[in-house]
Amino acid sequence: MSARDVVIVGGGPAGLAAAARLASAGLAVTLVDEQPELGGQYYRRPSPATLRAHGDHRPAGGRLIRLVRRLGVECLTGHLVWGVADDARTLLVSGRPGSAVRLRARHVIIATGAYERTHPFPGWQLPGVTTPGFAQHLAAADGTAIGERVLVAGSGPFLLPVACSLLDLGVHVVGVAEAGRPYRPSGRALTSLRHPARLRELAAYTARLAAARVPLWQDRVVVRADGAGRVSSVTLAAGADPAVPLRTLDVDALCVGYGFRPQADLARLLGCAVRTDPVSGDAVPVTDRYGLSSRPDVYIAGEAAGIGGVHLAETRGLTAAAHILARRDRASGPARREVLHLAARRRRLASFTALSESLYPAPGDLADLLAPALPGDTTVCRCEAVTAADVRATARLASGDLNATKARTRAGMGPCQGRFCGFAVAALARHATGAVPPGAAGGTASDEARECGAHPPTGGPVFPSRQPIRPVPVESLLALGADDDGEDA
Amino acid sequence: MSAETADVVVIGAGVLGAAAAFHLARAGHDVAVVDRGAPGREGSGTTAGNLHVQAVHTRRPGQDVPLDSARFLPLQRAASDRWETVEAELETSVELRRSGGFTIAETPAQRAELIAKHAWEERAGLRTEVLDGDTARAELPLLGPTVTAATWCPLDGYANPLLATPAYLDAAVRHGARLHPFRRVHAVERSGSGWRVRAGDLTVDAAKVVNVAGPWIAEVAALAGLRLHMTPVAIQMHLTVRLPGTLRHLVQHIGEGLSVKQVSAGNLLIGGGWPALRLEPEGRSPVSMASVLGNLTQAARILPFVRGLRLLRAWAGPLAATPDEMPVIGEVPGAPGFLVGGGTYAFTFAPLWGETLRCLVEGAPAPVEIGDLGPGRLAGSPERATPPFEEAR
Repeated sequence: MSARDVVIVGGGPAGLAAAARLASAGLAVTLVDEQPELGGQYYRRPSPATLRAHGDHRPAGGRLIRLVRRLGVECLTGHLVWGVADDARTLLVSGRPGSAVRLRARHVIIATGAYERTHPFPGWQLPGVTTPGFAQHLAAADGTAIGERVLVAGSGPFLLPVACSLLDLGVHVVGVAEAGRPYRPSGRALTSLRHPARLRELAAYTARLAAARVPLWQDRVVVRADGAGRVSSVTLAAGADPAVPLRTLDVDALCVGYGFRPQADLARLLGCAVRTDPVSGDAVPVTDRYGLSSRPDVYIAGEAAGIGGVHLAETRGLTAAAHILARRDRASGPARREVLHLAARRRRLASFTALSESLYPAPGDLADLLAPALPGDTTVCRCEAVTAADVRATARLASGDLNATKARTRAGMGPCQGRFCGFAVAALARHATGAVPPGAAGGTASDEARECGAHPPTGGPVFPSRQPIRPVPVESLLALGADDDGEDA
Repeated sequence: MSAETADVVVIGAGVLGAAAAFHLARAGHDVAVVDRGAPGREGSGTTAGNLHVQAVHTRRPGQDVPLDSARFLPLQRAASDRWETVEAELETSVELRRSGGFTIAETPAQRAELIAKHAWEERAGLRTEVLDGDTARAELPLLGPTVTAATWCPLDGYANPLLATPAYLDAAVRHGARLHPFRRVHAVERSGSGWRVRAGDLTVDAAKVVNVAGPWIAEVAALAGLRLHMTPVAIQMHLTVRLPGTLRHLVQHIGEGLSVKQVSAGNLLIGGGWPALRLEPEGRSPVSMASVLGNLTQAARILPFVRGLRLLRAWAGPLAATPDEMPVIGEVPGAPGFLVGGGTYAFTFAPLWGETLRCLVEGAPAPVEIGDLGPGRLAGSPERATPPFEEAR
C-alpha cells in the first residue's frame, strides 16, 4: 500500500489550493509541475531580477506557494507527467534528462490547466507573432516586452489584462482587436451586475486602456501578418467576412489567441470519460460537481475541468480536496459542510463563467467562420509544414475522417502533436466535406468508439491522446527500467 | 438503402484490399470495396512499413509458433520483387527505398541462428552476407558493443504505408472501382451462384467475395457461416522526433522483436511486434508502457545513439495472425467464390497478394505456389475461439 495519499499534477492555482488544503489535514501529498517553479501560468513566479525591479505582481501566489512548501507537500518541480503505466494508475514522470519517477497514490488530482487556442492565418509562423499568454508570461516573469508596437488580438476577456501588462512595460499597444462584440450594453451584460467583483476587474482594464488611448475594436479578426524575417504589419477584417481586409496596422509584434481549452490529455490517458463541449467543440473531462471524474480515484480541477478563470480554478481545487477529505472521514459533519459550501461557491462562479462565455463568440463557430476563408497556401500545421489546401484535398478523399486526414497529410504529427493546429485541421476537414458542425453531434465518451462506426465521425474534433503527452527523452524513459511493474517511486 | 452489383466485392480497404481492388479493376473487373471505417486506418495505417527480404526474426514477442523460415523465405523474396514495379503501376511515389538492412545477433545461439538463416537464404537465391561484430560495426558504426554478428541484405527496405494504401485505392478508383468507406459488413449470404454482402445501408451482389478484413477476417467469414481460426493481435510502434539523416539501413534483431529505421521524414521508427495492452476491436488499441520500455531498451542497446533522442509518439495497430504465422490466401473450401487473404507481414505481401487475388478471381494460375497457404488449414482447431460471433451463431 502506498504511503502517498494524493498526487496532484499541476502547480497552478487549483493544484496549489488543493495541495494546501490536503496537507493541512495531514495527508501525504505530492505536487508535480513541469516548470522549474510552482505557480502555473497565473501565479508564475517572477525572475529574481524582475522581483527586485518590479516586485511580485501576484503576491497571493507567492503566499500560497510558501504555505504549500511549509506544510510539507513533496514538490516535484521540473517534472513532466508524460504517461500512464499498464496498471492504468501509476503516473510515469520524467525529471532532469536521465531521471524518472513512477508515482502512485490513492487519489490523483489533474490540475494541468489549459492550452491557448490558436487559429492559423497567413504569416502566423513569422517571428514576432505569439500568443497573448506568452506575451503575458514574458511580461510577468521577466519584465520583458514582446515588442515595441504591439497588436493584441483574438477573443476573450484575457486580451484586456495582457494589453494592460504591455502598457505597464511602456509598450505602444496599437490596439486590441476582439473577434466578438462583448463590450456593449446588452441584457446579458447587465446580468453580470450580479457579479460585481468580476465586473470591477474588467472595468478596471477597459478604463486603463481608454486612459492610454488604446483603441478597442470589436468584430475584428486577424486575417494575415506580413513582414520580411519578422512581422511588420497585420491585416484585420470583420469576423463575418474574413475575406475582405479592412485595416492594416504597422507592428513589430502580434499577440493573437482565441481563449483557452482544457488540457484533457492526462484525463484521457487515465481512461476518464470525456465529452465534446457543445459550445467550444473541445474534449472536456466529465466531472460531477465535486470534480470527480468517471473514475472514483481521479479528480479534475482548475482549467483542465473547464475554462473559468483563477477564482473558479482555486475553488475547484479546494472542492476536490475537501471531497477527498470528506470521503476519508464519512461521519464528519464539518467535512461535509465544507464540501457543500465549496460546491455552492463553485456553482456561482461557474454561472459567471457561462455568462461571460456567452458574451464572446463560441470557439467552434469562430473556427467554422475562419477555416473556410483560409487561403490554400496557409501553413496550418507548422511542425510538418502542411497547408490548408493539403488538408482540404485530403479530407475530401478521407471522407472527412480526422485521423485519416492526419495520417495522409502528417498534419498534427510533429512535436506539438496537434496542440496548435488540431482545432483548425478539424474545422478545415469539416468544411471540406460539409460534415456536421460541432455541437450538432456533441457526444460523450464514445468519440473514440465512433471512429469505427457506420458513419464518418463528427464532433470530438481532436486527435486522440497518445503517450507520451509531450516528447520525452529516451534517456529518461530508460531510467524507469524496462520492468514496468507499477512500483512506487 | 442502396444496392449495387459488382463482379467482385472486396471487404476491407486496407493495403491488401486496396491492392486487390487495383489489380482487379485494372484487369477490367467491376469492383466494389467496403470498409467498416476510413480506408487504411487499421493495420495498414499503423504498420511500420518494412519490406522484409532477409529472414525475419522467427518469433515476435508473444508469438506461439516459430515461423517456418525455409517455406517463408521464397515467398518473401517473391513479395519483395513484386514491389519493384509498384510505383510505376500506381504512377506515384510510395517512398519505396531499398536501403539494405542488417539483422544482428548478440548471444552465441542467436549467432548460430544467423548462420542457419544465411543457408536458407542462399537456397532461396537471396544474397546475404554474414559479418562478425567488428565488421558489422565497421560497416555501421552506430551499432553497439553487444552485437556479435550480423547479416547484411541489400534488398531490405521499406515503403511508406501512409502513402501505399491511398495510392493503391486512388489507382483502383481511377480504373473504375467504387469505394464505400464507413460501411460495416453485417451480413454475407449466398445469392444464386454468387454472394450478397450487406454493409451499412448498402447491399452488393457479386459473383466473388474477397475477404481481406485483417483482424476482422474471421468475423466476416463467420457471417458467411465459415470458420476461420485466426489469432488477431495488436502490436505497437514507436517514433522519435525528427533528426538529420543518420541511419540509412533497416536494423533488425534475429532473436528478439526489434526493427529500427529512419523514415523519409527523418523520424526514427522503432518496432518489432511488441504487444499492445490489448486488441481493441472498436477504436484504437491502447499502448502498453511495458512494451514501450522493452522495445526502447533494446533499441538503445543495439543502437546507443537512440538514448539521446526523444520519443515523440507511440501507437498500436492490429494484425491478423494465423496460428502457424504463415500467410493465408485462397478460396475457402466448400464456399466457391469466397476468397480470403491475410496474415502477418501483409504489408510486404500486399502487391503480390493483390495480383494473386486477381488470378484467383479469374481462375488463372497464381504467380507463386500457394497450394499450402489456403484457408482450409484454418478451418479446424477451435481451441482458441475466434471472436464472439461463433458463439452467437
